[in-house]
Amino acid sequence: MKKLFVLMALCFLFPSPASALDGNDLLLRIDRNLNPDSYEAYKKLINIEPSGKKKEFVLFTVKKEKDKVAALFVSPASEEGRSTLRLGENMWLYIPNVGKPIRITSLQSVVGGVFNNSDILRLDYTAEYDVKTVEEEGGNYLLHLKAKTKTVAYDQLKMWADRKALLPLRIECITEASMLVKTIYFKEVKDFGGGIVRPSVIETDSPLYKGYKSIMIFANIKERKLDDEVFTLTFMPNLDSLR
Amino acid sequence: MKSIVRILSIILFLPLCAVAQDDYSFDLAEIEKKPYAAGGYLEVTPRLFYTDPDAAFYTLNFYDRADKDWLDEYFLKLSMDGRYTKGLSEIYARANINTTESDVDSDTNIVLDEGYLSLKPASGFNISLGKKALRWGKGYAWNPVGFVERPKKPDDPELALEGYWVATLDYIKSFSGPLKTVAVTPVILPVYDHVNTDFGERDTVNYAGKLYLLLYDTDIDFMFLKGGSRPFRFGMDFSRNITPNFEIHGELARIDNSVHRVVRSDGTLAASTGDAESFLLGIRYLTRTDTTFILEYYRNETGFTGDEMDQFFGLVQDGIDLYRQSADETLLKRARAVTEGSYGKQNPMRDYLYLRVWQKEPFDIPYFIPSVTCIYNMEDKSFSLSPELFYTGITNLELRLRAGFISGPGNTEFGEKQNDFRLELRMRYYFDVLK
Repeated sequence: MKKLFVLMALCFLFPSPASALDGNDLLLRIDRNLNPDSYEAYKKLINIEPSGKKKEFVLFTVKKEKDKVAALFVSPASEEGRSTLRLGENMWLYIPNVGKPIRITSLQSVVGGVFNNSDILRLDYTAEYDVKTVEEEGGNYLLHLKAKTKTVAYDQLKMWADRKALLPLRIECITEASMLVKTIYFKEVKDFGGGIVRPSVIETDSPLYKGYKSIMIFANIKERKLDDEVFTLTFMPNLDSLR
Repeated sequence: MKSIVRILSIILFLPLCAVAQDDYSFDLAEIEKKPYAAGGYLEVTPRLFYTDPDAAFYTLNFYDRADKDWLDEYFLKLSMDGRYTKGLSEIYARANINTTESDVDSDTNIVLDEGYLSLKPASGFNISLGKKALRWGKGYAWNPVGFVERPKKPDDPELALEGYWVATLDYIKSFSGPLKTVAVTPVILPVYDHVNTDFGERDTVNYAGKLYLLLYDTDIDFMFLKGGSRPFRFGMDFSRNITPNFEIHGELARIDNSVHRVVRSDGTLAASTGDAESFLLGIRYLTRTDTTFILEYYRNETGFTGDEMDQFFGLVQDGIDLYRQSADETLLKRARAVTEGSYGKQNPMRDYLYLRVWQKEPFDIPYFIPSVTCIYNMEDKSFSLSPELFYTGITNLELRLRAGFISGPGNTEFGEKQNDFRLELRMRYYFDVLK
C-alpha cells in the first residue's frame, strides 16, 4: 500500500511530457512555428490527376492575426487577378470580370482538386480547433483536435507533430461521422529566414478523390505588418498593390 | 471562315504545349512583380440558331430579308488589358476588339471597357479617375441597385461590362466587434456630348454613393444616384451565410418619378410617371454532393405588364399585315424604334424566377462543370432553358458548350423571341504578354 502511495505521488510530481503540456498551448506553438502572426507568402498549388496531368496555380497570400486571410491569384493567366478573402468563417471570391466579390463556402474549391477553400485560406489551427487530448506516438505528439463550431470545414483533426521542432508531420481530416476525408503531409522543412523554419511542401490526398494528389509549395514567407483594411471586400480588387 | 479555322487550331494547340512542362519547382522568377503587366484572352464562339418565323422579333428583323430557318454566326473577340504601376499610382486599361460574322450581319467594333488612373496612398484609401466598371448589388442574374452600371445579361451574368467615365474613391475603415468594416464609395458621373452619352440626359453631372457595412457577418450596402440624367433612386442590398453552404441575398431599389414609356398597338407612344420599387431575393445552396443551386426572384416595377407587351406584339402583327398588303413599313419602323433598350432588351417584363444548378466535377472528371439555367417569366409563363458543359482542364483554356431552348406561346416574352433554339461553343484562351 505504501509502495502504491509513493508510486501515485511520483506520478503526480513527475507527469509524462505529453500530459504535462496544455494541448492548446502546444497547438498555439505549432501555429506560430508554421507562420508568424502576420505575414505574406507565395504558394504554388499543383493538382495532379491519376494520369499524371498537372495543373498549377500561383497565389500571393497575406494573413493577419488568427482569422484574417486574403489570397490573390498570380498565375495562370486565366485566373490572374482573382482574389479570395476570409474573415473567420466568412469567405468571398472576387473575379475581375464579374467585378464584385461573391460569398463562397469553405467546402468549395476555387481551384478544383483536393485542396478546398479552407485549405487554401487556412486560419491558425487554434482559431478553429480545441485540443481534446495529446498523446505520444513513436516519439511524436499526436493531437486530437475538435472543431470549435459546426461551421469549420472538418469536424475533427488528428495531427502528428514533431516533438522537437513542434511542426506538423501529418494531419488527418475527419468528418463528424468519423469518416476520413483527407490526409495532409508536411514535408521538406526549410529555413525561410527571419526565424521561420517550417515545411515548404504540403501534400494532400483523399479517399474521396482516388488517385488524385494536390501539392502546395511555399516561397518567400515573410513577417509583415498589415492594415486591417487590407482584409475587406472593398480592398479585394487592390490586393496586387501589396506585392 | 479559313481564318477562323486557323485561330481555332492555334487555340487548341497552344495549351497542349503548356501541358508538356512539369516539375514541382517554384522558380522565384514566377512571382517577380514588374511595374507593368499585360495580358488578355482570345475568344472564338461559333453559334447556331434555329429561328421561329412566327415570332414578333423574327418578323421585325426579317420582314425585308429572305427567310432563314437556321442562322449561323461566328464571334471573335480579342480582349487585352494592361497596367503600369509607379509608386502609389497605377494606370489600368481593358479594351476589346469584337468581330461578328453571320448570315445577316457583319460587324467589327473596338470598345474601351475600362481605362483609369488610380492613386492608392493607403490601404484604406483609393481614388480612381477615368472609365471604370462599378458593379453594385448582390444579385447573380439581375441587379436593381446597379445604379451606375450597364445592365448585365441574365443568361451570362459573369461577362465583363463596359464602364462609365467617373471620378470615384473608396474609403475603408475596419473595426473590431460586430461592425467589422465600413467602406464609403462616392461617385461623380458627368454626362456630356462625348462623355457617358448613353447614361441619360446630357449636360449634367450625376452623383452616386455607396456605403458598405460588414455587420454581424452580414454584407450590407446602401446606395443612391442623384442627378439630371436619371430620376433620383436609392436602395440597399444584403448577403449573409446562414450556414457555410447556404447563403441568402437581396436587393431593394426605389426610383422616384420613374418615366414609363409604352407603345400602343397603333404605334403611338405614351408616357406615365410614378415611383417604382424593384427588388430581388435569392439563395445560394451547396449540397454535400457538390451541387450548387442559385434561385432568385426578381420583381421589376419599371418593366412592362403583360397588356403592354400585348400592345407591342399587336403593333408588330399589324405592321407585318400592312407591309404585306401595301409594302408600307411605317408601323414596323415604329416597332423597331422602341425595340432596342426597351421591348427588345433581355427580360423587359416584371416578374421573373432564375434558377441555376451546377455540379462540380461529376463522373470523376476534374475541372468539368455541367449546369443548367432557367429564366422563367412568371407573368406570361414563358421561359428559356440553357444546359451547359464547362471545362477548364487545360491551363488557360476555357471551353463552354451551351444550348438554349426558348419556349412560350404567342404573345409571350420568350415565345416571341427570334429563335427557338441556340447552340454555341465558346473557346477562350488566356495569355500573358509581358511575363
